[in-house]
Amino acid sequence: MLLITLIVLGIVMTFFLVVFVTDMIKSHKSKNQKYHKSEVIMAFVFLAPAVVMMFFFVILPIFMSLGYSFTDYDLMRPSDIGIAGDGFDNFRQLWKELSEHGLILDALINTALFVALVVPIQIGMALLLALFVNNKKRGTTIFKVCFFAPVAISLSVTAYIWKEIIPVDDLNTRYIAIIWIVFLSAWQGCGFQMLIFLSALGNIRKDLYEAAKVDGANVFQRFKTITLPGLRPTMLYILITVFIGACRVMVQPMLLTTYQSQTVTISLFMYKQGMEYNHVGYSCTVALFMTIFMGSITFLQRKLLGEKKK
Amino acid sequence: MKKLILAPLAALTLGALTGCGGSDVDYNDNTKLKIRFHVDIGSVEGMAYSQIINDFNRENEDGIKVTATFVARSAGDTTYDLELQRDMKNGTLPDIITFDAPKCAEYASYGYFYDLTNQFSADEKAKFVTLNTYKGRLYGIPIQESSAGIYYNKRYFQEAGIDVSDITVDSPWDYARFKSVCASLKARHPSIVPAVMRFKDNNSEMATYLLYPFIYASGGGFVDETGKQALGIFNSAASIRGYQFLRDLYDAGYTDYKVEEQSFYKGEAAMLLSSGWTIPLMKDYTTTFPDDRNSWGLLPYPKDVTRASANGSWSYAIGNNPRTDKTNVIKLLKYITSAKSSKKITNATGMIPANVDAQETYPANSAEDVLLQQLEKTSIKRPDTVGYRQFSDTFRMVISSLGSEDVATLVNNKATYLQSELDKIK
Repeated sequence: MLLITLIVLGIVMTFFLVVFVTDMIKSHKSKNQKYHKSEVIMAFVFLAPAVVMMFFFVILPIFMSLGYSFTDYDLMRPSDIGIAGDGFDNFRQLWKELSEHGLILDALINTALFVALVVPIQIGMALLLALFVNNKKRGTTIFKVCFFAPVAISLSVTAYIWKEIIPVDDLNTRYIAIIWIVFLSAWQGCGFQMLIFLSALGNIRKDLYEAAKVDGANVFQRFKTITLPGLRPTMLYILITVFIGACRVMVQPMLLTTYQSQTVTISLFMYKQGMEYNHVGYSCTVALFMTIFMGSITFLQRKLLGEKKK
Repeated sequence: MKKLILAPLAALTLGALTGCGGSDVDYNDNTKLKIRFHVDIGSVEGMAYSQIINDFNRENEDGIKVTATFVARSAGDTTYDLELQRDMKNGTLPDIITFDAPKCAEYASYGYFYDLTNQFSADEKAKFVTLNTYKGRLYGIPIQESSAGIYYNKRYFQEAGIDVSDITVDSPWDYARFKSVCASLKARHPSIVPAVMRFKDNNSEMATYLLYPFIYASGGGFVDETGKQALGIFNSAASIRGYQFLRDLYDAGYTDYKVEEQSFYKGEAAMLLSSGWTIPLMKDYTTTFPDDRNSWGLLPYPKDVTRASANGSWSYAIGNNPRTDKTNVIKLLKYITSAKSSKKITNATGMIPANVDAQETYPANSAEDVLLQQLEKTSIKRPDTVGYRQFSDTFRMVISSLGSEDVATLVNNKATYLQSELDKIK
């Protein structure tokens, strides 16, 4: 454990040092130097706390999780960690459960269904709400507050309120339960994306709309040719963040139905395996699988929808 | 000047951190013991525990001082387990720990519990209806006992012309009669649900605790005696018959996923599957039960091929911490499981005392008598397995989907899942 921490710390510090030295050399050699040497040093000093935090809370856990995925780490026996079989037992177990239609396949299907539905619905709702409140008319602020209010409410509270609204039989029925969770999540989350869209809408030049109006473009044409292209970078950011958030859905199904096959998600499955069944090693394997899956999709999203380089 | 102020402060802090941290005795040479309860401190049960500990501290003359800490049950099992895990790792497990009886195998297998086999004589062990054992060794002493049954609204039964006076623990009703009682109730009172079978409670241990006897009564089971084999037992033909009985009740409209405990108290249901803790609550529902005990009754679990009823409640274990001399801990354990302490707890919770010396003689066929008789004659423990959580989750998954999926397919799938989870346990 200490050895892993030291190795990863060494790698990060080396990387940080290399970047620092390179920057110093660049600032020294460059004739049109943008920054003074002292400014570069100051920048790295300010950066250091963030790098330290990132090391302990992001980089180290990722490396540890990767390492644990090859072990038989049992939460209740933290001092007795060994390699799981030949090191790939957890991966074989994962494949076995996937191929034999184990609960993890239900989790995968439910997560995929949730992501496929919640991403367009939540982003669509957020955009509609942003367009609705994007004006200077009297009373608009009250709508903004109302639409944003669910974001400020704790997800646990929201889940308990919706538990009273959703028919009990629906929560016990495959697919229907997930659809309810999609509505709950979209309703709860879209207010935040609405604010981001609103800010992006404010950055689109007004004269473009005026010119389009003069040219006789209708509302739909103006939206298609001015608004949507203007929102493209924001849309990509929102798409990636909502997608990643959706892949990690856990609290809503956990509070609405606990651990049931009709609502289990990959994150919930991971949590259950690691924190309740004590199979931390296996849980880390599932986490690795999920990271690769999410990373691939995010990469594709950036490739397909990314900004064209100038 | 600064140094003058800082030096004593630093010395004090250092002293506090090093000198007073892990000592087993306090300044008055009293032995310090720690006990942790998994219950809300403000609850009636929590206050009863506090009272017992205060009594012990006052009464004992051996210089033992006990400190009690409470982890709220509402915080969930995981929080409690994580605290135990952290303490186990640091060697700071409390001297006495409370736990839910079915988890004995898991905790004992991980080495959290001290072996009590030789600490209690045969006579002392005989004072308890059940004991928490794992692989033949004693690890836990029950605080209280539990049994459940079918509460019924006497008015609805009379109006439907149903006579259940012949039903006793020794001569119980069977599944067919249970269904026929439901049919009569439904025919006479179409607006009420005949039975609250606790399907809605599939998100907690409640559903497992109250419904598992139906599978045993059908001759089925869950895991083998090693606790590692579920396939072929969880989904045996007899087990599936037990689940099918529950499904039949749902299909016939005798129960559903909407009705809950409150439905019975409000008069919206004629029967309620519940435990002994319901008894003290009934007097609060004077609208539905105006004449208290004359307005409601309690029937035993119905039988199929055999009789079965629920049991198991909270228990005490000694934590396997570095304290080598357990004499004082054993002394404390014997005090808190004595008849006197047992009575205090059951007065607060309404449950059956674990210590037989604290049990009273109840009027024949009273609710308490039915529960006590069931406990002695028909109760069966929940499966003894290190993977109890996995079992309970799987069982609740079956209950949750029972109304919407084919019973045999559902039970077979879940048996495969449970087996896969049990196979993962080292």
